[in-house]
Amino acid sequence: MIRFIFGRRNYYPSSGEIMASMEDPYVLIDKWLRAKEFIVVGKGVARADALEKALGKAKYVEDYFQSGFLFIKQVLSTEPHAKIKGINVEEALRKPKVVKVITASDIPGENQVGYALPDQPLLAEGKVRFHGEVVALVVAEDIDAALEASEFVRINYEPLPHILDPLEALQRKDVLVHEEVGSNIAFRTRIRKGNVEEGFSKADVIVENEYRTHHQDHLYLEPEGALAIPGLDGRLTVITAAQYPHLAQSIIARVLGVPASDIKVIVPYMGGGFGGKDDEGPLTAAKAALAAYLTGQPSFILYTREESMRSHPKREATIIKYKSGASRDGKLTAIDVTIVHDTGAYANRGPFILWRATVHASGPYHIPHAKVDGYCVYTNKVYQGSFRGFGNPSVQFAAEAQMDELARKLGIDPVEFRLRNMLRPGLTTITNQLLDHSAGIADAVEQLAKVSGWYSKRREYGVSTGRFRRGIGIGVAWHGISTSRGVPDWSNAYIKIDKDGSVTAFTGIVEMGQGSPTSSHRQIVAEVLGAPIEKIKVTFGTSDAPDGGATHASRGTSIGAIGVLVAAAKIRERLNKLASELLNCSPDEVVIKEGKVYVRGDIERTITWEELIKHAYSRGVDLSATGYFFLPKGKFDDTVGQGQAYPAFSYVAMIAEVEVDTETGKVRVLKVWPALAAGRIINPQQVEGQIEGAAVQGMGYVLMEQLVFDDKGRLLNPDLTDYVVPTALDVPEIAKPVYVEDLFKYGPFGAKGVGEMALIPAPAAIANAVSHALGVRITKLPITPEAVYFEVKKHGLIK
Amino acid sequence: MFYRIPKFNYYRASTLDEALDLVSSLNDFKVLAGGTDLVIDLKVRRYTVKNVVDISRIKELDYIADDGDRVRIGALTKLQSIADSPIIREKVPVLADAVREMASWQIRNIATIGGNLCNASPAADTAPPLYVLNATLRLVSKEGEREVPIAEFFLGPRKTALRSKELLKEIVIPHEPGCGASFLKLGRRNSFTLSVVAVATLVKVVENKFADVRIALNSVAPTPVRARKAEEYLKGKEVSLDNITEAAKLVLHDISPISDVRASAEYRKDMSVVLTRDSLIKSLERIGIKV
Repeated sequence: MIRFIFGRRNYYPSSGEIMASMEDPYVLIDKWLRAKEFIVVGKGVARADALEKALGKAKYVEDYFQSGFLFIKQVLSTEPHAKIKGINVEEALRKPKVVKVITASDIPGENQVGYALPDQPLLAEGKVRFHGEVVALVVAEDIDAALEASEFVRINYEPLPHILDPLEALQRKDVLVHEEVGSNIAFRTRIRKGNVEEGFSKADVIVENEYRTHHQDHLYLEPEGALAIPGLDGRLTVITAAQYPHLAQSIIARVLGVPASDIKVIVPYMGGGFGGKDDEGPLTAAKAALAAYLTGQPSFILYTREESMRSHPKREATIIKYKSGASRDGKLTAIDVTIVHDTGAYANRGPFILWRATVHASGPYHIPHAKVDGYCVYTNKVYQGSFRGFGNPSVQFAAEAQMDELARKLGIDPVEFRLRNMLRPGLTTITNQLLDHSAGIADAVEQLAKVSGWYSKRREYGVSTGRFRRGIGIGVAWHGISTSRGVPDWSNAYIKIDKDGSVTAFTGIVEMGQGSPTSSHRQIVAEVLGAPIEKIKVTFGTSDAPDGGATHASRGTSIGAIGVLVAAAKIRERLNKLASELLNCSPDEVVIKEGKVYVRGDIERTITWEELIKHAYSRGVDLSATGYFFLPKGKFDDTVGQGQAYPAFSYVAMIAEVEVDTETGKVRVLKVWPALAAGRIINPQQVEGQIEGAAVQGMGYVLMEQLVFDDKGRLLNPDLTDYVVPTALDVPEIAKPVYVEDLFKYGPFGAKGVGEMALIPAPAAIANAVSHALGVRITKLPITPEAVYFEVKKHGLIK
Repeated sequence: MFYRIPKFNYYRASTLDEALDLVSSLNDFKVLAGGTDLVIDLKVRRYTVKNVVDISRIKELDYIADDGDRVRIGALTKLQSIADSPIIREKVPVLADAVREMASWQIRNIATIGGNLCNASPAADTAPPLYVLNATLRLVSKEGEREVPIAEFFLGPRKTALRSKELLKEIVIPHEPGCGASFLKLGRRNSFTLSVVAVATLVKVVENKFADVRIALNSVAPTPVRARKAEEYLKGKEVSLDNITEAAKLVLHDISPISDVRASAEYRKDMSVVLTRDSLIKSLERIGIKV
């Protein structure tokens, strides 16, 4: 049978052999993967929320606030590392309209919110570990009263020595961010493939460099917020901006010490997430829930921009030592990589981020011998967390700089050198995972080189000695789909069809601007059911939908949409069977399209969609279904980092053309060309939007964004005056993407995932272009005008 | 963090006379023109004041007048009005160039030129062009009016020559036909950004010699500054790239930048030289001279 072609199968039908096989998710996913003609999939269908958003009618968390709700103001630490000797709340409580001041001791459940390691309190307890850590919540009848009282919460600190530099933290035992750990190393990773000594002995050229990358703030337009209403719908209902309603639900339940079933989480439209609200969203929700639970009144929290920047997790800052070797014929022989992530005060998702960086350290290349060591290191700074790319942009920056340097030493064109080593079906990754299918990157890079005019520009640029120098650079990257290693991942959703033929899909996937529920999910359901797309409503971001995982890791339209595909496909099988009885044909001959149900090749025998649904209701056909699918995972040995790291990889490449003003150091990105091998493109319009947004966010990260800390670890630019992100006038021309649709066997219609992709190669592409323009290797981000200028000066490139 | 604006008394004037009455009777006040700097400064508590005098609705100070030999701009003229004004574009285009690059469209429609000057930020972008245009500021109080050359108006960061009962009424810019002027700004992105360094220059050339040269910079000293040494060096000298390059280096004598989150002092020094040279070349191009 077809379903066994792709191997592992861990779903066992329990009853009714015929029905079970008809509704086996493996069979259904495979059946729709093989579809040849499409009604709406692959088309630029306008998203359901377009008009609402254009008109400013879409509602976000803050829009649900009503006067009379309590307001919560956070009190943040002013010390980077200190014992809390006492918290005096008396003075604050005496201020007018103050209802409550909440500290760690008021938490009824567990004050423990660490995602990867149990190292993090919701409210500081015993000590503070960074300047900006939340110590107390002031709850008052209105915002002014809360703000005023927050200044009168007296925290008695006993300062401890603090540590900011991750390399220093790695060595020292006398200053510990978490005493119970015994060192400042939160987590370690390693990969051992082959024998690197042997690999380097076969190398004709060796390149060794140290790279540094910096923090980035998500700077979503909508800062964090949550509104908790006790008793609504018989539960404590929390309206919040979180990327995973079920995770927010479980964190709230843990903090309050109540069953998850007592908590309902709704995520309305969200003004950007980028990973930041995957980490901070549930914590924001828990703070509002805590206040509502303790006061019995609706309670609202909204971070100011400064609070958001000071307290929510950032993109990891890294130090990467990278040694690679290649033979004269342009083949990589070995890599030896050490990755240090500055995780700040808490591990948060740092271990997962480090795993991702470790597993992807090679770039999308075949390397026979690899050794990678990763260290996730505590310091007394705001902690690191999820951010579009998740540990990957930094390591791809290092890997791709190495590729350029090796190519230069070998005298081979950088694209040609990459193509000689690129992963293709049949080759193994550095975790020794065999790529059996869905690895279309080589094709994408070849096409990209053509459309960008790579070969001629690469020869032409990089030789100028004038003031303005052009360069062209490439970054190629890969990004594992789903969770890493054996970490379970699944999808689910619930679909029902009402009597009038309208369809509702319930999913926990959220709408944070990317449009998964309002575009691709609708298209998938419409395609599979054959119902008119106007009849499809996707109710997103609710914990009342079955848990189908988070909207992160580029999974909203890939893994996240398998649930709606499978649920819709189950109902479609039932409808086909029903229609075959009504139309007197076999179920395979049933066509449902544009509101009509008919026999293939016989348009005469037709009923309408609505009639079909009426028949279903009168004949006892169940028009509701869930779409649970548990993603098969392989074995992975953490001790040597060998095994199946991910079910599949998305691939992305970017070519950037830049012009450097050597006298001011200013880099202008003139044009970027993106290419994507991410399986089926469900909605090209949405994918282009994701690529353009990610390319610009990546460019901002490389060229201008930076967090500046003082010697106490205090953030000096937690505001929009001095944390600089690109404006419309900084955006380069972005070419139409090259797509290679290398279908993934478990993706909905073969889709792999897009959201993070174009950001991942952006640092590499731009840095390589600048390096090409100047003939000087860039090893440190960001490439601000000042940084470039001093590189130019150091190397005497201008008089 | 500091989003609670401390309480203050709020007064609103609808005429200049009302405003002068208020500022002469009140102590410890700040004037609100557009508020785009003041409101943030109150929030972050750069200032704590008892009283705020809102003059934003005084219509009589919102004008751009062309008197032939001079242009007058009312202190409460919005930045966007200046950027859009045909008079400014024709008579003193360098000011329009500077204003167009300031802030965002939304802020330019609230912020005023008087506010930008009286706020006295070392990074005020209207200052360098007004310096090289030899603008004078007309200050008014109940006792009468006086004129102060712009270079004498700025005394230090957030400090001006305004006396406590005085208001800025208008900016007077002499129109000097035949001069070429330009403005160059280096920020951390292409728009909506504070200057790391900005430079305005103005040149007058007679028989291929610099008859007059004026150079002004911001963000490189406690106040916007004229680069007198560089100006003097060029006056009377032949127009040549070598002379311009030499002169540009001399701006270092008149500046004293600091390091902050936006840039290091060293970078600011080097960029002052580069931007001065580039701006001088551009000013010459404006009067049809290529070097």
